[in-house]
Amino acid sequence: MEKLESLETESSMLMAKRPYLRKEIQLLEQFAAIMSSESSSTVARVLKPTILILIAVVAISSRLFSIIRFESVIHEFDPWFNYRTTQHLVKNGFYDFWNWFDEKSWYPLGRVVGGTVYPGIMVTSALIHNVLHFFNFPVDIRNVCVFLAPMFSGLTAFSAYLLTKELKDSSAGLLAAAFLGVAPGYISRSVAGSYDNEGIAIFLLVFTFYLWIKAVKTGSAFFGLLTALFYFYMVSAWGGYVFITNLVPLHAFTLLLMGRFSNRLYVSYSTFYAVGTLLSMQIPFVGFQPTRTSEHMAALGVFGLLQLYAFAELVRGYIPPKQFKALLKGGIAAVVIIASVGLTILSFSGVIAPFTGRFYSLYDTGYAKIHIPIIASVSEHQPTAWTSFFFDLQMLIFLFPAGVYLCFKELKDEHVFIILYSVFASYFAGVMVRLMLTLTPVVCVSAAIAYSTLLDTYLETSEHVLASTKPAIAVTPATPAVIEAPTAATSETKVAGKKAAAKAAAAAAASAAAAAKSTEADAKAHAKATADGEKKRFPIFNLDSRMLVILQLTWFLFMFAWHCTYVTSGSYSSPSIVLASRQQDGSQMIIDDFREAYYWLRKNTKEDAKVMSWWDYGYQMAGMANVTTLVDNNTWNNTHIATVGKAMSTSEEVSYKVLRQHDVDYVLILFGGVIGYSGDDINKFLWMIRIAEGVYPSDVKETNFFTPRGEYKVDHDATKTMRDSLMYKMSYYRFAELYGGGNAVDHVRNARMPSEGPTLSVLEEAYTTENWLVRIYKVKDLDNLGRDLKDSTAFDKGRVRKVSSLKKK
Amino acid sequence: MRRQGLGKILFLVVALALVTLLIVSFIPSPANAQTTEELIAKKVSRLQAKAAKSKGIIELDSIAFDDVLAKPRNYSMVVLFTAISPEFQCAPCKNFDPEYRLVAAGWSRIPDKSKIFFGILDFKAGQSIFQKFNMNSAPSLLYFPASDLSESFDRYDFAKSGFQAEPLANWINMRSGLKIEIQRPFDFIAFSLKIMGFAGTLGLAHFLYSRGGKVIRSKYLWASVSLFLIFIFISGHMWNQIRHPPYSMPSRDGRPGFIAPGFQNQFGLETQIVAITYAVLCGGAISLMSSIPRMDSPSKQRIAVIIWMGVITIMYSVLILFFRAKNPSYPFRLLF
Repeated sequence: MEKLESLETESSMLMAKRPYLRKEIQLLEQFAAIMSSESSSTVARVLKPTILILIAVVAISSRLFSIIRFESVIHEFDPWFNYRTTQHLVKNGFYDFWNWFDEKSWYPLGRVVGGTVYPGIMVTSALIHNVLHFFNFPVDIRNVCVFLAPMFSGLTAFSAYLLTKELKDSSAGLLAAAFLGVAPGYISRSVAGSYDNEGIAIFLLVFTFYLWIKAVKTGSAFFGLLTALFYFYMVSAWGGYVFITNLVPLHAFTLLLMGRFSNRLYVSYSTFYAVGTLLSMQIPFVGFQPTRTSEHMAALGVFGLLQLYAFAELVRGYIPPKQFKALLKGGIAAVVIIASVGLTILSFSGVIAPFTGRFYSLYDTGYAKIHIPIIASVSEHQPTAWTSFFFDLQMLIFLFPAGVYLCFKELKDEHVFIILYSVFASYFAGVMVRLMLTLTPVVCVSAAIAYSTLLDTYLETSEHVLASTKPAIAVTPATPAVIEAPTAATSETKVAGKKAAAKAAAAAAASAAAAAKSTEADAKAHAKATADGEKKRFPIFNLDSRMLVILQLTWFLFMFAWHCTYVTSGSYSSPSIVLASRQQDGSQMIIDDFREAYYWLRKNTKEDAKVMSWWDYGYQMAGMANVTTLVDNNTWNNTHIATVGKAMSTSEEVSYKVLRQHDVDYVLILFGGVIGYSGDDINKFLWMIRIAEGVYPSDVKETNFFTPRGEYKVDHDATKTMRDSLMYKMSYYRFAELYGGGNAVDHVRNARMPSEGPTLSVLEEAYTTENWLVRIYKVKDLDNLGRDLKDSTAFDKGRVRKVSSLKKK
Repeated sequence: MRRQGLGKILFLVVALALVTLLIVSFIPSPANAQTTEELIAKKVSRLQAKAAKSKGIIELDSIAFDDVLAKPRNYSMVVLFTAISPEFQCAPCKNFDPEYRLVAAGWSRIPDKSKIFFGILDFKAGQSIFQKFNMNSAPSLLYFPASDLSESFDRYDFAKSGFQAEPLANWINMRSGLKIEIQRPFDFIAFSLKIMGFAGTLGLAHFLYSRGGKVIRSKYLWASVSLFLIFIFISGHMWNQIRHPPYSMPSRDGRPGFIAPGFQNQFGLETQIVAITYAVLCGGAISLMSSIPRMDSPSKQRIAVIIWMGVITIMYSVLILFFRAKNPSYPFRLLF
C-alpha cells in the first residue's frame, strides 16, 4: 500500500512539474473522445466526412504520378483491350458490343468478344461517359478510362471505412480507409491509366463484403439483396468473384459449425445466394458455370445445408425429442447417400466440369509448372516472395496478425468472417503475386483495428476505458444466448405436453427466455469479468509511457506514408509503353519506341495486314496500330500460341511455311540489346520454345537451344538451332553493323556478338525504331521465278551460287 | 591349231578369273557383313542378359560406355550421369536414383527388350566421359537414339519436368515409340502409416469431442492455428513450396549465408527469420494493447512499455535492414 501511494504521489508530482503537458493531454483526450466514441457531437459530424474526403483526395492524387510524368495514356497490355472494347461500346452501343465478333484478333479464328469478356468495367466507363455528355461535359472516353481506377480507389477507401466501422468503430474505420487509400498492394493495379478489371473490382469486393456483414448482422433480406446486386456487379467485372463465391459460403458454414445458426444467417445467405446466382448467370462469360463447375459447388452445398438445417429446426418444434433424433439420423444418412451418388453420377457424366486450370494451380502448386506452361509463363502468376509482401504492405504486414488476434478476442459473427478472409487471402497471395490484391483490403482493415486499439489504449482517459470495456463484455455472450433460447423454450413446452398450446406459446416463450437468459448472461459475464483479476483493465498511468508509444506509432505512420509514396512513384507508376531513363548528365530521356512502331504500322500497312508477334503485344497492336493479330493476351487458344512460338523458334524454311499458312504480312519483335531493355523477346524466347514444344515436340526441342554446358547463350557459343531460329535472326539482323563491324555488344545479356551477323532470306526488314526496341519485318512473297527464297536472295546479292538449282526445279 | 586353242582356253580362264575377282571385289564379302551384324546381335544379347540380372539397369564405366554407344547400333540408350558416392554430397542424385530404377524396371515389362537399354554412369567410374560431354552438374540424363552415324542425343530437363519417374517415362516413350509403364511398388509402410494417421485423427477428434468439445471449441487453439498459418504465408512459405530453394548457403565474401541475393529470391532459413521477426513485432503490438493495461502498478507498466517499445523498434529496424539487404536502393531506415 505504501509503495502504491508513493508511486501515485510521484506521478502526480510529475504532472505538476509539467503543466504544459497537462494541457496537451487534455487536448489529446478531447481528440480521443471525438475519435473513439460514437458521440454525435457536431465536431465529429463535420470531421469524419472531411477526413474521408481528404483520404479520397490523397488516394486519387497518389495515383497520378504517371500522368504528371508522362501523359494521360492507357498503360501496359490488358488495359489496351479494355480501352478498345470501351471505344467500341461507346461508338456502337450496347447491343452491338454484346454481339461483337472481333475478326481482327486471333486470325484466322476470330474472337467472340461479347461472350468472352467481363463487361463491368467497359459498361461503367461508358455509363460515366454518357452521363457526362448528357450534362454537356465533353470528356473524351480515353480520359474516363484513364481516371476510372483512381476514382474508384476513393470509393474503395470509403467502403473500407464502412466495413471496419462494422467491426470496431469509426475511428478504426478512418484508419482503414487511409491505409487502403495509399497501400501499394492496391495501388499497383489502380494507378491512373491502368484501366483494368481490378481497378473497380477491389472496390466491389470490399463493398460486397461490407454488405454481407451488414446482412448477417441485421438479418435483413434488404441487405442480402444489396449484397447479391453488388455481387452481380463484381461478377460482371472480374474473374476474382470466385473469391466471394467461396468465402461467403465458408463464413456461413463456419458459423453453422460453431453452433451459431440463426434466422439472420438463414435469411441473408438464402437471399444472397438465390438472387446472386441468378444474376451472375446473366453474364454470358459466366453462363451456366455457377451450376456446373466445382468452384461454385461450395456455395450451392452450403445453401442446401442451410435449408436442411432450418428445416430440421422447424421439425424439432413439432416432434418429441426421441423421435426427432431418429428422424435426424435417418435424414442425414439419406441426404449423404443421395448427395454422394448424385455427385458421382453427375461428375462422371460430365455435367459438372472439373476445376479449371488457372484455379487448380492454386491448390496443387506444382500443377501449372508441368501441365500448363502458358499459365506458368505469366509473371503475375508466380508465387510471392516475402520481399513482395513487405514491399506492398510495409508496417501493415505485422500489425495485420495483431488485428486478427483482436478479432478472435471479440469473435462476433463478422469477426469470424475477417479471420477466414485473412487466412485464405494470405494463402492465395502467397501462391500468386497478383492475388496480393485480394489480401490488401483485409490487411488494411485488420491492421487498422490493431492500430486504433493501440491508440485507444494509450490515448484514452480512465473514464473512457471503463465506459468502452463494459458494453463490450456484455455484448459478447449475449449473442449465443439468443441462439440457445429457442432450444430452452421448446424443451419447456414439451414438458407441458400440450401440442396446440405449445405452438402458440413457443414464440412468446422464446423471446421471454431469450430476454431472461441474456440479462442473466450479462450479469454473469460482468461478475466473472470483475472477479477475474485478469480481465480487469487499467488505464495507462504514466504520461511518459503514453507519449513514448504514441510518438513512436506516429513515427511509424510517417514511415509508412513515405514508403507508400516511394513505392508508388518508383515502381508502380510506369506506363510501360513509354519508358523513361536517366542519362549520364542526369536528364531524363523518354523512350517512345513502342508507340513509334505501332504508329508506323497504323500508317504504312494495308488495312487488313496481319501482323504476327508474341502474345504479349497483341492487345497493344490491336489497340494502337489497328492491325489484325494472330495471338493476344487473351491466351484462350494454347495451340495457336504454340504455332506462333513454333514460327519464332524454327529455321527459316520451316517457319516460312507457318507464316504463309497464316497469311502473315509482318512480324513484330522486341529487341532490347541496344539500350539494355531486359523485357525483350530474346529473354522471353525460352517460354515461346517451351510452349511450342508442348504442342510440336518433334519440331521444337528446348534442349537444342542450350549449349552442352546447359547455358542459354546468344554470342559465339550459341547453338546452331539457336542461330538458325527466326527469332535470333530477326533480333540480331544487322546488329553488328550498328557498331561498325567490331565489338557488337548485347547490353541485356552482356554478350559480345560475332561481327558476322545472321542473314535473312524469307523476311526483309521493314522498320526499326529509334532505339531498336521494336523491329518490324515484312514477310516476302513467293519468288516470281519459282525459286527457293534462299537462292533468290543470294542471287539478288550477286552471289549466284548454283545454276543447277534453277534447272532442278 | 591346238596351241591356238590352248591359248584361247587359257585366255578364257584368265578372263573368267579376272571377272570373278572383279565381281568379288565389288560385292561386299558376305562373311564380313555377317560378323558386324552378329557383333551387334551378340552385344544386344549380352546387354539383355546384363540388364535382366539387375532389373533393367546396366552399370557403366568409361570403357563400357564407349562400347555400348559404339556406332552403328540398332537400339537406343538412356544413360543417367550421376554422382552417388557420399563424398560428392549430391542430394538430387540420391533422390532421383530410385525413380530412375523404377523407370528401368518398366523395361522388363516391355515386349521387345532389344530396342532400348538403361545405363548408369557414376562420376567415379567414368570421369573421362563426363569431361567428354562437358558435364559439370549431376544428375544429367541423356537419350541416345538408335543410329548408324549421327552423334545426336537429347537431354532430359530436370528443371522443367522434375525428378519423378512418370514424366521421365513419358519423355522416353515419346522419343523411342515404346510403351514403358511405371508400376510403383505398393508401399506398405506408407499405407499403414496413412491408416494409422487416419485412425489417430479420428480417435483424437472423438476424444476431443467427448470432452464436451472444449478443446475444439477453444478460441485459443483456433487463434494460434490461424496466426501460425498467417505468419508462414506472409513470410513467403508458399514460394518455398513451389520453388524449393536451398535452406541456406555458406556465406561468401562478407555476405551472410542466409540471405539469398536478388529481390525475387529467398532461402528457407531467410523466410523463417522473417516469420519470427513478424511474430515478435506482432506479439509486441498485442502485449502493448492487452497485457500492459492489465498491470496495476504504474512502474511495472512503464518498464513493460519501455521494454516492448524497445523490442518493437529494434526488430522493425532489423526488418528494414533485412529488406535493404534484398533491395539495396531502398532509402529508408529506422535505427540502423
